[in-house]
Amino acid sequence: MRDRLKGTRMARAAAVVLALTMATGAWADDDVKVGAIFDLTGGLNIYGIQQSQALHLAVDSINAGGGVLGNQITVIENDAQSDLAKYTQYTNTLILRDQIDVLFAGLTSSSREAIRPIVRQKKVPYFYSALYEGGACDKQTFITGASASQQLSVLIDWAVKEYGPRIYIMAPDYNFGTISAHWVEYYAEQFGAEVLGADFLPLTVTDYSPTIQKIQGANPDFVVALPVGANQTGFLEQFAAAGLKDKMGIVSTNYGSGNQQVVVSPDAGEGIVASQEYFMWIDEPNNEPFMARWEEAYGLDEPIISEAADVWNAVHIWAAAVEIAGSTDNDAVIAALEGGVSFEGPNGTVSMQPGSHHLRQNIYIVRGNREHAFDVIQKFEYVVPSFEDEVCDLIANPDTAEHFVP
Amino acid sequence: MELDYLATVLLSSLSSASVLLIATVGLAIVFGLMGVINLAHGEFIMFGAYVALFATRNGVPFPLAVVLASVVTALFGAIVERAIIRHLYGRILDTLLATWGLSLVLYQSAVLIFGTVTPGVGMPQSNIEIGNYTLSTYLLFLILVAVVLIGLLYWLLTRTGYGIVARAAIQDPQTAATIGIESGRINTATFALGSGLAGFAGAILLPAFPATPSMGFAFVIKAFLAVVAAGPVTLSGTVVAGGALGSIASMTASFYTTVMGDVVFFLATITILRIFPLGISARWRLKL
Amino acid sequence: MAKAVKADMPRVARFEPFSLVWFCGLVGLAIVASLAFDPYLAYVATSWVIFGLLGLSLDLVWGRGGILSFGQTAFYGLGGYLGSITAINFASLTGNTLVWSLPVGMATGAATAFLIGGLTFYGRLGPLQTTIITYTFTLVLWTVAVSFTATVGEAVVGGDNGMSNIPGYVLGLGRDAPLLEPGAMFLTVAVIATIAWYASHVLMRSPFGLVVDCIRMDPVKAELLGYDVRLYQLLLFTIAGAVAGLAGALFGAWANYLNPSVFSVQEALLVPIYVLVGGRGTLVGAFIGALAVGGLSFWLGGGVIGGQTTLVMGACLILLVIFLRNGLTGGLKDLMELARRLARRRDQGEEAEARKSSLSVDFERLDLLRTAGGEPVVLETEDTFKRFGGVTPVRHISQSFSRGRVRCLIGPNGAGKSSYLKACTGVYKPDGGSITLAGQDITKTDPFRRVRMGLGIKNQRAQVFAGLDVRRNLWVAAYSRSRDARMADWITTEMLHMLGMRNSASRPASELSHGEQQWLDLGMVLALAPDVILLDEPAAGMTNEERRQLSHMVRALARTASVVVVEHDMDFVRTLDADVTVLHQGEVFARGDIESLRQDDRVLDIYLGRRQHV
Repeated sequence: MRDRLKGTRMARAAAVVLALTMATGAWADDDVKVGAIFDLTGGLNIYGIQQSQALHLAVDSINAGGGVLGNQITVIENDAQSDLAKYTQYTNTLILRDQIDVLFAGLTSSSREAIRPIVRQKKVPYFYSALYEGGACDKQTFITGASASQQLSVLIDWAVKEYGPRIYIMAPDYNFGTISAHWVEYYAEQFGAEVLGADFLPLTVTDYSPTIQKIQGANPDFVVALPVGANQTGFLEQFAAAGLKDKMGIVSTNYGSGNQQVVVSPDAGEGIVASQEYFMWIDEPNNEPFMARWEEAYGLDEPIISEAADVWNAVHIWAAAVEIAGSTDNDAVIAALEGGVSFEGPNGTVSMQPGSHHLRQNIYIVRGNREHAFDVIQKFEYVVPSFEDEVCDLIANPDTAEHFVP
Repeated sequence: MELDYLATVLLSSLSSASVLLIATVGLAIVFGLMGVINLAHGEFIMFGAYVALFATRNGVPFPLAVVLASVVTALFGAIVERAIIRHLYGRILDTLLATWGLSLVLYQSAVLIFGTVTPGVGMPQSNIEIGNYTLSTYLLFLILVAVVLIGLLYWLLTRTGYGIVARAAIQDPQTAATIGIESGRINTATFALGSGLAGFAGAILLPAFPATPSMGFAFVIKAFLAVVAAGPVTLSGTVVAGGALGSIASMTASFYTTVMGDVVFFLATITILRIFPLGISARWRLKL
Repeated sequence: MAKAVKADMPRVARFEPFSLVWFCGLVGLAIVASLAFDPYLAYVATSWVIFGLLGLSLDLVWGRGGILSFGQTAFYGLGGYLGSITAINFASLTGNTLVWSLPVGMATGAATAFLIGGLTFYGRLGPLQTTIITYTFTLVLWTVAVSFTATVGEAVVGGDNGMSNIPGYVLGLGRDAPLLEPGAMFLTVAVIATIAWYASHVLMRSPFGLVVDCIRMDPVKAELLGYDVRLYQLLLFTIAGAVAGLAGALFGAWANYLNPSVFSVQEALLVPIYVLVGGRGTLVGAFIGALAVGGLSFWLGGGVIGGQTTLVMGACLILLVIFLRNGLTGGLKDLMELARRLARRRDQGEEAEARKSSLSVDFERLDLLRTAGGEPVVLETEDTFKRFGGVTPVRHISQSFSRGRVRCLIGPNGAGKSSYLKACTGVYKPDGGSITLAGQDITKTDPFRRVRMGLGIKNQRAQVFAGLDVRRNLWVAAYSRSRDARMADWITTEMLHMLGMRNSASRPASELSHGEQQWLDLGMVLALAPDVILLDEPAAGMTNEERRQLSHMVRALARTASVVVVEHDMDFVRTLDADVTVLHQGEVFARGDIESLRQDDRVLDIYLGRRQHV
């Protein structure tokens, strides 16, 4: 049946729904209950659907291997509809009504921040799986995406060597952008480079000409561009059309995380450098079986995004921790996670840092080609979330509940 | 300030204003001739962009795809007018809400059908050098497009049977009715024209602004502030208000920050409405 | 005067003890629900009640005030932020969190609404422009808030990452006061919402509410009755802002978290949906709508229809606007109204007969209403001048109006009659010259102030509040003069007698015939007991019998007030036995009585468009 459904996105969305309703339909009482809240509809569903698909894939693979502690895992899923208030509502519902053992949820930092105080009060382990600006620190919260400093520490180093020391920043005007810009400046200084200027774009902006002029005025060696969502890819088109790509490099930490390379035309996308914890094109032993599984379930019309790998890793890390703890009890699972859990993911070995609850993982630097895809140019192995490890030690200070800002 | 920078800023703010004008004029026609604000205008732009996108991907040359997108969106607009707008004449706030509902439906349908990512067309990789600066040729070309578009619309509204009748119907509905003008058909035509212009905008802007389901939202906020600031005189009001707001915001963004540009746009709109409560053209004697 | 108040006199705008029963019933229902609900349902339902409160704030300004505002979420969000910041910093002092967040939230919402309302209403913006301004305001807030970071004491406002650690619902006092369980939380919010609803309900049943309703139906007429329309709108907007701010503070404590998405377009446009679904102008409908939408969206989000919430909501909105304008409660009401009308149809024929014969003017009563005696009040224009672009409809007209005889203004089309009249009423502000009323300069005075100074204005078109019954129409006018409900009741009763409309007192004004509406409109003007009365073509559309009575009445009025009649109809002018002023091309062309003017060739020339004097 899956083979027939494969193909159109509509059918795939329908398959998710089907799986979802079947999953919520019936479960035995001793099943382990996994709660999930992702944006299956609305503007963020480009991420949310794949996150949800990865979750179901991971749960199915664990269930096929006998489940956790001999019990099958049931997924109880809600669609946040790209509406922040829904996260608050469904988190409470999943905990109060469905009594879930663990929660996987959220894409935006704001969704994580909305969930954090609730899981903290109700004592449920929570996994957040998306690249973000970094700094979240809370006993109940575990983060499997890369943080901005993790990505930028290697990207800026690489780019300064590749292009030169003069940097310009184009970033969205909210936390992700401003904090990322901070890290660019921080690492620029560390690697002997200089930030010439920064332009922060509101999310609704469509007019990129002023930014492009300012970049020309500053004449940097490379631009750090962090366009959010598909809309801001217009910037990349206009950047290329103005002929700037021949004059300077362009690098990004989030380009590709929402499959922007598909939207951008070959002329504009070729040569854009991105750094993330996962790309579909990486050569790792576990990537091939992961992709095969994915293709069988959902097809590969749409490239797999890094958030999908983050969710896959999160589910397996949690399952491993449950096996170690011998129970799904909150304190025991957290203690097991803080004992250090590693997993061989599609993107190589990842391991949970006990103090900061962030992942130590590979960061890949890739370059866009003319086929709406990427070529891997360098792998940085086992990169430490250094900022989070430095400010956040939940073993020494278990009561910390903060979002650290550099 | 170097002269070449100044020249680039001037030219590019002119092109920014043109982009705004191209995206706005369909909304303005519908508002001016029917008194209807179409909140789904942004999604009509998106609609046109996708039509053009799929046409080009199936081998249709881009200029032809633009025409096709305009026509298809216009037809779609005609259907919408018959099915929804028609029932709500004289209830402007209700129309606002119904078209907002339509925008949600169109947006979510686009997400369902196209997914949130589809390959773009890409801009022609050609540019013009001014001193140390380069400007994309396509964005400069859009200035020309805006000028020609306004010219054509002026001709359409003053020199053709449809235009004269449509303007008569808005200026004096009773007389128009007594001399046998069917306002129903005129309204369908006007709404289709506005929709077609939205489709045209989505298609012509496609190279620089890739098609995504949410693209309309980014355009429509400013478009519809510009229309309200412009007031009842459709063409010249929109040209003045849209041009002024667009270039002021773009210049502010060039000299300060992009956020500042947006804030200036909003504040300028509020100021205009404070001084001219019914829009900048409310007291003009010019009627087009 | 008090002796005239009859015991059985129907009351308009009075406190109804019956509504208290509703109040108690709703509170009881909330108690039962809070006991019956599962914790999670209580938790989720709490948010629906909060959204209902937000909907209530929009229903006040839109359903009752007629102003569609997309700014309610702005007041809501700002109230939420400031209320929560206060609670974060000071809740440790009392334990109780709500004593901090709610008052601050309400004050913030009210203050912001006051500023925005002041900007739009006193700028005399059109309804569409007002909607756009509120929309823009919300968008600006969103743009600013996503990148705005600040630390206020203990509270960290973190841009798009929002503000965490907002304390939940604590009612008890002292450091160890416990956080409310979901059930108790629901009850608390439900009781607060019921109080807010009840307060709004009482307010909208009061004279204030009646005037607000009138402004929605016809703002021009409301102003001509002497009400300061903008002040009423501003007050209503401010009150609604306070309700929105209250909802925001409650929401902050519910979510323990706030983020700029409260200012987002999606959020702003969701509020009208609540109101539309529930029924515009019903107040309680906002809660029904929030419950229905919240429940639907909750159910859809669970994956029942493939999560196509946005699609379903969008389609629902279109269908609602087209087919069910008045929402769920409105739909029910319409059905009941239809049933009532069908039942009543049979005896309507008789009623109409009775009405016709009772349409007569009781002039004894007319004098009762007049504050007769004292100096005659004179309206005087000196060299008044008005220009629009290249057109000058009024050039230097000097004319004085006093009591005793009716003064008629006549002239051919385009003579400047109505422009001159508009300058007198204040709709147009003259470019030159002066206008005085009772010796006071009113050249630049707003129409409603002129009315309060004793000017009564009746426009050519019958202006009545179609949705109100005849009694309420008159009452609103009477209340404007006396600002006393008992007095207004008395004047209304007298007026009903005088107009001979006692049998029609409970009929909606929209059901009256054209002539009856004119008659009612005139009654409303007279209920103001004006010293100077301006009548613009009062006889238009009246039957011969009605015109005869009108003529009689106008002459009677002129004994105690200065009456100005602008008229086209020469025959009617003749019956008035009036002093006549002929206007031509914006200037006074001739003065005299009608008979002598009828002999004047020059006057005939301009009427017939003959050469010499044109």
